[in-house]
Amino acid sequence: MIQTIAFYLFATLVIASAALTIVARNPVHSVLWLILSFFNAAGLMVLVGAEFIAMLLVIVYVGAVAVLFLFVVMMLDIDFAELRAGYAQYLPFGVLLVLVLSAEMIFAVSAWSAGGIALSASVAPVPEGVPNIEALGTLIYTRYLFIFEGAGLVLLVAMIGAIVLTHRTRSGTRPQNVSQQVKRRPQDAVRKIDQPVGQGMDL
Amino acid sequence: MASVAAGYLPILLFLGVALALSTAFVLLPMLVSKATGSSNPYADKLAEYECGFPAFEDSRAQFDVRFYLVAILFIIFDLEAAFLYPWAVSLGAIGFGGWLAMMIFLAELTLGFVYAWKKGALEWE
Repeated sequence: MIQTIAFYLFATLVIASAALTIVARNPVHSVLWLILSFFNAAGLMVLVGAEFIAMLLVIVYVGAVAVLFLFVVMMLDIDFAELRAGYAQYLPFGVLLVLVLSAEMIFAVSAWSAGGIALSASVAPVPEGVPNIEALGTLIYTRYLFIFEGAGLVLLVAMIGAIVLTHRTRSGTRPQNVSQQVKRRPQDAVRKIDQPVGQGMDL
Repeated sequence: MASVAAGYLPILLFLGVALALSTAFVLLPMLVSKATGSSNPYADKLAEYECGFPAFEDSRAQFDVRFYLVAILFIIFDLEAAFLYPWAVSLGAIGFGGWLAMMIFLAELTLGFVYAWKKGALEWE
């Protein structure tokens, strides 16, 4: 009973906040609605029993990806009123995209209801009595090992690409040089003088 | 799979309590101010202000692109940590091959980390 109520609550909130993500005029509000949508999707994942995926959604999507989206929104210097002015111009293209997507959905749903798609045959069987995260771990690091290493390479490429694209050395800055600071001895910086009375000081 | 979700029931209850309390904290003062007749919004009262004076500029100031670099480095090491959890839990079952796979994965990302360090991408200046 509670599970059914929770499912309908989360599912409604996912769809509603996803719709608001698209409809919201302010892009910052869009990102905030997207975060709400991620949280509710995590709730749905918990209901299915995939708790590790749920936690991953919260940690990676809410904690990192949404922050990245916010940064991107804040970094772009776009006049959003000007952006919306091209509505009529992009309308045919948008309608075409909607047609393609809805056709895909109709095909998928009708193929599903026609039967013949044995989805459970192609996915790995869920082992009984093993926690979700453990079952996932035994699969990722054995059966899907090369895909996992490929994911590591993709992350490496992403890191190097981000550094190459956005990093530039700035001239005129004075960064802290720790080894130079540590190397400096008192005799380099301090001078003891016996100052005679009545004479000016020599610096 | 109902047993997994049932373990999260207390969190759902807490969420409900939090939702009820926060709704009460927002709505009750509004209702009270409406009921007692002290609700009197006008343009100056509704305008945003910082430290008591009118705001200088739009709240959406443009960010430096350096924040983006920090965020993307954070995502990558966040994902690395996320991959470590299932590996650590199932280390007994996956054996030496699984251990080696994670070591190679870590080496790949360490390579990127060394690159970022040497390039000075981690320095803020």
